[in-house]
Amino acid sequence: MDWIRSMLSRFLTLFGRSKRDTELEEEMRAHLELATEENLRDGMSQAEARTAALRSFGGLTQTREAYRVQRGLPWPEQMSRELRFAGRALRKAPGFSLTAILTLALGIGAVTSVFSVVEAVLLKPFPFPDQDRLVVLREAVEDTSGRTTIPNNYRHVMRLKSTSATLEDVAIFGQHGASVSPDGSHPQVLGTLIASPNIFSVLGVQPILGRSFVDADARPGASPVVVLSYAGWQALFGGERGAIGSSLHIDGEAVTVVGILPAAMRFPQIRMAPSAKFQENARDTLLFEPLTPSDRDLHRDMGNFNYEAIARLKPRVTVSQASSELEALQNAYTLSAHLPLHFGIALAPLQKDVASGISGALWMLFAAVGTVLLIACVNLANLQLARAVNAQRETAVLAALGASRTQLVRSRLAESLLLALTGGAAGAALSIAGVRLLLALVPSGVPRLDEVHVSAPALVFAASVSMFAAIAFGILPGLRSLRVQPQTALYGHPARTANSREGNRARRIMVAGQVACTVVLLILTSLALRSFARLMNQNLGFDASQVTVAEADLFTPPYDQAGAKGNAVRLALADRIIGALRQLPGVQSVAITSVAPLTGETWVDNLQRPDHPVPEGQQPAINVRWIDPEYIPTMHTPVVAGRNFTSADRANPYVALISERTARDSFSGEDPLGHKILNLVPDDKHPITIVGVVADARINGLKDNAAMVYLPYWAFTPFTLSFLVRSPQPGDTLIPEIRHAIWTSDPRVAIPTIKSMDAQVSDSAATERFQAIVLTCFGMAALLLALLGVYGVLSYSVTLRRREFGIRIALGSGKRELIELVLRQAASPVLLGAGVGLGLAALLLRWTRSVFYDSPGLDPIAIGGSLLLLLAAASAAALIPARRAAAVDPMRALRIE
Amino acid sequence: MGEGKSDVLQGTLDLMVLKTLEALGPLHGYGIARRIEQVSGDVLSMNQGTIYPALLRLEQRGWITSQWGTSESNRRAKFYSLSRVGRKKIAEETENWERVAATMARFLAPSN
Repeated sequence: MDWIRSMLSRFLTLFGRSKRDTELEEEMRAHLELATEENLRDGMSQAEARTAALRSFGGLTQTREAYRVQRGLPWPEQMSRELRFAGRALRKAPGFSLTAILTLALGIGAVTSVFSVVEAVLLKPFPFPDQDRLVVLREAVEDTSGRTTIPNNYRHVMRLKSTSATLEDVAIFGQHGASVSPDGSHPQVLGTLIASPNIFSVLGVQPILGRSFVDADARPGASPVVVLSYAGWQALFGGERGAIGSSLHIDGEAVTVVGILPAAMRFPQIRMAPSAKFQENARDTLLFEPLTPSDRDLHRDMGNFNYEAIARLKPRVTVSQASSELEALQNAYTLSAHLPLHFGIALAPLQKDVASGISGALWMLFAAVGTVLLIACVNLANLQLARAVNAQRETAVLAALGASRTQLVRSRLAESLLLALTGGAAGAALSIAGVRLLLALVPSGVPRLDEVHVSAPALVFAASVSMFAAIAFGILPGLRSLRVQPQTALYGHPARTANSREGNRARRIMVAGQVACTVVLLILTSLALRSFARLMNQNLGFDASQVTVAEADLFTPPYDQAGAKGNAVRLALADRIIGALRQLPGVQSVAITSVAPLTGETWVDNLQRPDHPVPEGQQPAINVRWIDPEYIPTMHTPVVAGRNFTSADRANPYVALISERTARDSFSGEDPLGHKILNLVPDDKHPITIVGVVADARINGLKDNAAMVYLPYWAFTPFTLSFLVRSPQPGDTLIPEIRHAIWTSDPRVAIPTIKSMDAQVSDSAATERFQAIVLTCFGMAALLLALLGVYGVLSYSVTLRRREFGIRIALGSGKRELIELVLRQAASPVLLGAGVGLGLAALLLRWTRSVFYDSPGLDPIAIGGSLLLLLAAASAAALIPARRAAAVDPMRALRIE
Repeated sequence: MGEGKSDVLQGTLDLMVLKTLEALGPLHGYGIARRIEQVSGDVLSMNQGTIYPALLRLEQRGWITSQWGTSESNRRAKFYSLSRVGRKKIAEETENWERVAATMARFLAPSN
């Protein structure tokens, strides 16, 4: 009970402090007077009596101190006092404080911003129950060239689902864009998931309104239903409860809304295969429709690899256990069913899979920004060290007056803590702006961007970073300065002790560390910049300027019919739209292609030659594009051999153009012209004659030089058409005109995208641009900070050595020699740091090769350029203090003391 | 620290203060300090100032109370006196101390 009473009474004394202080003073005064009187009575003189009283009392200050410690709550009391002192000390050195706080704020702000993105995109779990049991399931095919991951065959997945002992359940689905409108005209294209009815139970999601899917929804002939995401409900129905039971036109069909999902349920974008790139397809999934498997889905083991799948593992099953079980099941089935290819399984945890496309780039940024923070902290440590050295005399006086080591360390700690708190708070505030900036730069294809904000974990992270920075980079220099003996510091001139060998070494090691980090960052930055430049400057094989691309989706009746009838209506519509677009003012040419450029691999098939049969599975893969005769001239892609399509081919459309790469892959050493190929036109066995070879063009993606086969749209008109319009008109006039022309031809056509091809090119390099811009910022920041470090250390040491320089000049030393002396002093840490940085970069280069596009293992220009930049900048930074050293006036320098 | 003097053991000062107040009644800090010095025959090395944190400690525990009053030479001084709890604690603390002292004595006795 005693301690409660004690604490209470101590707590109460936190208030009314000054009254208690005066009371103690009065009590001590009474004490001394009583003692003096007694001494006087013993026959001492007045002075003797007073001195004796003071002597037997002991230290007045110590008593006050002990009394106060006993009086108050020790921790908050001391802490707030130390912080007050520290605040006063920092206010007295505004230059130092501002530099330190700014450095910390920038470093912490940058790190916290990047961490916020990393946290939302890579670390934060999905809001699904037991989300760590969710895995993305894909098939894998092994052939001589290695193992390729591919989307799933429906039948294979169903077989695995029924035989596996490690999977609780599997949902199979496809992600699409669907033409959606309330009444069927002027549809928007919205992200739609067509999934097996168990999708919500696999994910563990319950609708907040209406119902989930039931198995009957997926039976052939069932009345069509749709479940909306929360965002879809808001967008299409304004969040009205009456949405349940109302109907939507999806791809021309009236569908009943049966359920609404919770707001937290955001379905991630899952790639068909790790190599596939989403551009235009990267839409938020707003609609969920049940998947009714076709006959083809149910019965075909080969081809038809069209689905994605998410599985839920049984409790306590690891991904590797499930992986090996499923792999064995697939292998066994491959053998027993005599499949012509060897199939395996690739499992990846959902969270990891969704982030896999961007995680390398993000982690690299995080590492880069961490390095910047580290360099900033080293600068801070240097500043602190210089400050501690300056304060050495003061510290020594305090120590001589009886301040304990703990007290001295505590006051250093308080100062660092105050800096860290202020810097950290400013950094957290900065990170709000930083996150906004990053979001403006981040490529839109990055998953879960809408979840990025400065969150509690990010702030906790910022707080711990600043605490760490405070302790590591504030206390250590402080401790070092305490090692100085009071005598040395008191008797010696501060400059002499400060410039002790040991202090110098510590600072030079720090500079070397900064330089090493900066070299690594600069090399990374220049690699990123050069890779980005290569990406943008490479020969694309087509000319994007002044071309606008408009996608049109024909998934609504009457265009969605299969067979010759559907083909005929689509062909007629395509011709009508081309006609309308040609009428637009200023249009030079209009072309058609089945797939908008730079939207990834699509319509992948195998090239089969009747004159050169190759076993199934070993035929070279090609991408098929359905085009018109205007496509090649509109894209400015040269015809290398043979001829382009002409309108004369319309009567007999079984002709093909191939790209140079296709010619190499499939006709190596032969002249492909006149050769026949088989089975490329759907539902048609007509052989096709190659009439021309065109130059390679990177129309799938900037990094991808795929083998292409171009066929005329007369042979087959696909369900997605992209119109390419070459016109010098600006986009803001042209784009509405194009939209109007398409919708005048038929308002039921959905137009998912209209944009200039230049924008398309630029968007498809968004990740690289993001990387290049952000890395450049960080690289420059690192360089600047390192220069400040070099400059700070040198100029500080020059100031301290003024006397020495004065003597040297007085003894006849030339300016040149002095400058050389200082530069030599700078050279060793800079060169050492550069060497260490090169070594680190060499270790990193192996990894960056996979991150940066088309990056040579050793890029001498990037590495040499970075080194040169650093050395030039470091010499400039060192030259300023060196010149100052040479300009020392010997008379004044010597007279200072 | 002079030769032949010992430091005041942690915790013993509290008991000395309590015993002093028990013997002499209400007393100011200087009186308590002097009394302790006299009783110990100047063997204890003690700064008189250390008495004040100890007094505060005892007051915080509620064992003693304090009051401003006038000294024998007409000086304003703070007088400390035992509280009821303090009186009870003396017995407890004395017993405690005797036990410790007896134990120490057994350790220090020449072993046979």
